[in-house]
Amino acid sequence: MTEKVLSLNDLTISLGGKYVLNGINLDVYQGQIIGYIGPNGAGKSTTVKIMLGLIEDYQGTVEIFGRDIATGDHTYKRRIGYVPENAEIYDNLTASEYLTFIGELYGLDKDVAETKARQLMQEFELDHVFHTRLSAFSKGMRQKVLIISSLLHDPDLLFLDEPLNGLDANSVMIIKEILAQLAAQGKTIFYSSHIMDVVEKISNRIVLLVDGAVAADGSFAELKEQSKEGSLEQIFNQLTGFDEHHDVAGNFVSIVSGESRHE
Amino acid sequence: MNDFSSLRFLDRFQFLFRRLGIDYDDMRKILQLKLTMDQRRVPTIFNMDSSKKKQGNQFLKSLWLYALYGLISVPFLFFGDHYMLQMSLLFGITMFFLMTSMISDFTSVLLDVRDKNIIGTKPVSKKAISAAKMVHVGMYIALLAGAFLAAPFIVMIFTKGILFSLLFIGVILLNLIFIIALTALIYIFTLQIFSGELLKDIINYVQILLSVGIVVGYQLLARSFEVIDLTVSYTFSWWHVFIPPIWFGAPFELLLRQNMSSGIIFLSLLALFVPIISIIIYARLMPSFERNLEKLLNESGTSRQKLFKLDHLWSRLVCFNREERVFFQFASAMMKKERDFKLKVYPSLGFALFFPFVFLFNSFNNELTGNIGDSKMYLTIYIGSIMIPAAIHMLKYSENYNGSWILRTVSLADSLSLHRGAIKAFFVKLYLPVFAVLSVVFLFIFSPRIAPDLVAVLLGGWLHTIISYKLLNNRTYPFSQSFELAQDTNTAFNILLSLMAGLFALVHYIVLSFSYGIYFYIGALLIVTVVSWLIIFRNNDAQLKQG
Repeated sequence: MTEKVLSLNDLTISLGGKYVLNGINLDVYQGQIIGYIGPNGAGKSTTVKIMLGLIEDYQGTVEIFGRDIATGDHTYKRRIGYVPENAEIYDNLTASEYLTFIGELYGLDKDVAETKARQLMQEFELDHVFHTRLSAFSKGMRQKVLIISSLLHDPDLLFLDEPLNGLDANSVMIIKEILAQLAAQGKTIFYSSHIMDVVEKISNRIVLLVDGAVAADGSFAELKEQSKEGSLEQIFNQLTGFDEHHDVAGNFVSIVSGESRHE
Repeated sequence: MNDFSSLRFLDRFQFLFRRLGIDYDDMRKILQLKLTMDQRRVPTIFNMDSSKKKQGNQFLKSLWLYALYGLISVPFLFFGDHYMLQMSLLFGITMFFLMTSMISDFTSVLLDVRDKNIIGTKPVSKKAISAAKMVHVGMYIALLAGAFLAAPFIVMIFTKGILFSLLFIGVILLNLIFIIALTALIYIFTLQIFSGELLKDIINYVQILLSVGIVVGYQLLARSFEVIDLTVSYTFSWWHVFIPPIWFGAPFELLLRQNMSSGIIFLSLLALFVPIISIIIYARLMPSFERNLEKLLNESGTSRQKLFKLDHLWSRLVCFNREERVFFQFASAMMKKERDFKLKVYPSLGFALFFPFVFLFNSFNNELTGNIGDSKMYLTIYIGSIMIPAAIHMLKYSENYNGSWILRTVSLADSLSLHRGAIKAFFVKLYLPVFAVLSVVFLFIFSPRIAPDLVAVLLGGWLHTIISYKLLNNRTYPFSQSFELAQDTNTAFNILLSLMAGLFALVHYIVLSFSYGIYFYIGALLIVTVVSWLIIFRNNDAQLKQG
């Protein structure tokens, strides 16, 4: 049995009087790529934020690398990489400055961080903008910088929130391959996304969150078995109880063309 | 990234931070990053390929201005030897000044939510992050205070002696700690009670109120100064305990005058211990503050449909085609909702309301003889127009300037209708209310005989608006640039345009010496205004198509 990397026990949190997470239980093992999916507002980002120590007043326990994170020791983060969802970045820094800074915060030596950052940028064919400010970067370029910043320190656990945002098809292929190879090396990847095709292909375990609770958990094959649907998208629709897409789309188009059926 | 001399200075005190259990190296890294970013407040996206990037910290350059403001407090040092009064006034002004700068300039530092996601997720202790934040703010406040107090301090050395000046340094340090902690505590408590959007609005209005308050307060202070008898020695009253500047005046009385009365001792103790206690409370509450910062990220509360009835009516009244009406309503909504815009413009609206009266009352004092109701003092109403250029200038900027692509991509029959809509919205929604309030009060003071004069003032305001718009904004789309660029502009030119209000007042004053002059003046203004409006905002494209 491989090492248990992450363990959520009855994780519950209410924000502003509303329960966002309703008792999540989840064990994640080394080398897994978890596709963490769910409708908007299901609590995906909240879970990730709790695991990163950004939100503290939760109930239940969160253990990462076998240690409870509530003890206030922040050193467990040294083995974690994170790509945030909304691509927040200090964009008046240059790529070099930003990446070196992040590397240093992760405990790397300044020169090591810079050299590694440059090499990684080079692989993404971004070495010519290494000393350009991030504010001049396109969405895809920023996303690549964020991905590099999450991997600089060779983490054992990766949290990726829509990591393929804004990337072109070729880059998407590169990232997918990188993730597969990292997982083969024994890294654990926690991947949340709304793009079902990618999640279906990339992950070897899928966790579906609905209304702050785990609604389904298993490999794609297992989920398919259970629900007898052909694609993850269809399984997603079925499990979240959504079967009106045809009607909604019909109404929408008729309103656009000015022949509204309702009202 | 540069190695800043300020950081090297800080290095000498690293043992202090380590003593407090703060990871100094992490804190230093964060600080270095923040200082580097401060140097680049002006975004490069607009001059990416040009080699002449704006270098240096814009804030540091503005320090000269603060040093100039500092001269205001120099006179207090010459009024005899009344330590309590002099120092309380000096500290009062300093506190007012520094707190407003804290709130207007460092809110972004204190409430930066990016830190949480970018640095908070890294293996850095929360203590180091909080400490970096505090030192960052502290460094700037120290610089601000240094610039602001440089002139008074030099004067102090000569008029009060070395010992006094040394004591002053000690007390001012306590004072600065108090200011930082107090500002932060205000935020902490507001964040605790309110949430999300509402909180941002509240902070916004506090900022606006304070920036008005500082100026109004200074005026009141100067007035009260005339009433105070400088020869009387200080007597303690219980309510002095609630006025912080008085605490900080007390140590001078206690140590240099050996005034051992219990009141003075008590106030001195407050000056020593309240800053220390408040900074401890601040440090204790910091974690919950950081947690509450999350609220700023969450959009909470349900949205209600707003009634735009009044805007709608106005747009019908002042706009002559549909496109213009659309943009009028757009601009009105932006001016009402944009916090940065409000923060930069609403205070000047407050001044526009307040200053005509200051000048009026000054003249009450000076011209006790003669009846004010018959005088020409109502021309002070022109002071209300001084704010026009600054506000017009701000029309160019928006927090969400990126959204302005929509203005460029929609197809417009008349490309100028956007500008016409915006300028009319400014005039109707911002200038007119101020003018209306001033007019009502002035009519009351000066009798309805000034009605034609008010018409001339209004026309002059409109002309002033048109000219300012042309010279400052020209064809730049409203709400299409980042506020960060706003610092970049020629302030002197803005001031010059503001002084145009004085020109209008002067011409008005001259025509008043002719009988019926005012009516000719109104006629002339009307013609000039209409002609310049047509020249500047008439649609040339349509003209060409017709011709």
